[in-house]
Amino acid sequence: MSKITIMTSEIVILQLLRQSLDARMETGCHRRGLKADCQLYGECGILIQGLSDGARAAVEIAVQTAPPAGFLEWVHGYENMLLIFRAPKFVDAGGRWVAGLAEPAELARAQGRLVQVPVRYDGTDLAEVARLTDLSEAEVVAIHSAPEYRVRIMGFAPGFPYLDGLDPRLHLARRASPRDHIAPGTVAIGGGHAGIYSVASPGGWHLLGQTDLPLFRPALAKLAKPVSEAVFALEPGDRVKFIPQK
Amino acid sequence: MQPILEILSTGVGLSIQDAGRAGWRRFGVPVGGAMDRYSLAAANRLLGNRETAPALEIMLQGAKLKVLADTWLALAGADLGCGIEPWTAQRVSAGEVLTFPQARSGLFAYLAVPGGVVADHWFGSASVDARNGLGCVLRNGIRLSAMQSAPQVSTEGVSLRRLLVEDRRDFGREVTFELLRGPQYALFSESARDVLVASPWRVSARSDRTGFRLEGPTIEVPASIPSEPVLPGSFQIPGNGQPIVTMVDGPTVGGYAKLAVLRDADIDRLAQCAPGTQISFQWRD
Repeated sequence: MSKITIMTSEIVILQLLRQSLDARMETGCHRRGLKADCQLYGECGILIQGLSDGARAAVEIAVQTAPPAGFLEWVHGYENMLLIFRAPKFVDAGGRWVAGLAEPAELARAQGRLVQVPVRYDGTDLAEVARLTDLSEAEVVAIHSAPEYRVRIMGFAPGFPYLDGLDPRLHLARRASPRDHIAPGTVAIGGGHAGIYSVASPGGWHLLGQTDLPLFRPALAKLAKPVSEAVFALEPGDRVKFIPQK
Repeated sequence: MQPILEILSTGVGLSIQDAGRAGWRRFGVPVGGAMDRYSLAAANRLLGNRETAPALEIMLQGAKLKVLADTWLALAGADLGCGIEPWTAQRVSAGEVLTFPQARSGLFAYLAVPGGVVADHWFGSASVDARNGLGCVLRNGIRLSAMQSAPQVSTEGVSLRRLLVEDRRDFGREVTFELLRGPQYALFSESARDVLVASPWRVSARSDRTGFRLEGPTIEVPASIPSEPVLPGSFQIPGNGQPIVTMVDGPTVGGYAKLAVLRDADIDRLAQCAPGTQISFQWRD
């Protein structure tokens, strides 16, 4: 059998390009405006680290209104944001584009929509969570439904929100043995986060209840131009309030 | 539209795939699509289709398809012992049965039909991502149609419906890849970085369209990180120290540190490394 070594002369060129880009990016973001660090990720990605909420919102608005050449899409991380380009040739200019963005004023933070999520608190793990936290089930429900959460990122599955704002009294390690099947709409907590399972999937979070609000409507993704607000109940930046149902 | 193929058996894995659904990753929708986009494009080029037209992705052996109408079909990617020679297109007649009895090399074969397979699109793509309820899952008895009744003039790199020999790929049992540094490269110890390139790894049988697991020595793992975006081709190192290379159906975010990343074109090549394949790595530099 043949041994294939994948290596071409263009790698050398890419490497040189990358070194010059790395050098520029290290200082670029600081010098020109946005207080953030850029890091190359793969051949077509730029990870922007250390973003304030305002700066994150500013980048998000900029990529939607006047994106750099060859821009494909963006993905939010907890503490960073990834810009993805269509081909490596666009990344160099993309880095300069980020560096040229202005740092927004402190109060420019976008508020996001407030979405009310009705929940029946009858989850499989409610009693267990009460036991582990030394609370009554009613207290667990009251504490879980009290805060206004914020969708920090989405991922794991389409429409799955990682929610910030869980009361520290409900911070629990994930279950030692994950479940194979968790139904869509299951309201759950894991570590420092609250979430809602959006598709049937395995998972290791503690299950508190169930919502009938569809988080992901794949049928609406079949339209010629799917509208994100119709396909997904939430988007990053939205605020969430759980409303206990009888 | 007259159907041209009937699925008699889906075998180990049969699905419709195209170039995937970029643009929705911030909502958690994986980019998806063909595991080996190079071979998908080759199969389509043989019939003069758009390179990204939906085709059948056939994983390993067992699929069986009945031809319902005289037409042309093109095959590229893995050699699964089909009567159609890989990297060529052939005329087939109604009544013929195509079988894929034996995985000789590679993992995924792509069978293209004139114009592309007719299928509904989710987020602009016909690609099947069964886990997330996207795409039309294929079952025995389903009949498929083609967008066109006859192929277009074939395009670049094709002569007489055969792909030029230099454009064909051969999927070996020992493969070496060059690695780019991953976002958390600096968090890994020097010995952890060395372990990845010091000895060969085996592709685990527990690999799937979301990720390829590698078996080998244990890589010392730094603490997990706040969840952040994950690109296909990333080497995530979970607690057991055995890398998982994220593939196109993989989650869009993750909390494992990423030591390395493949070059985009190498994701296609890794996808063709069947379980048991020995793969080696070297850091680019």
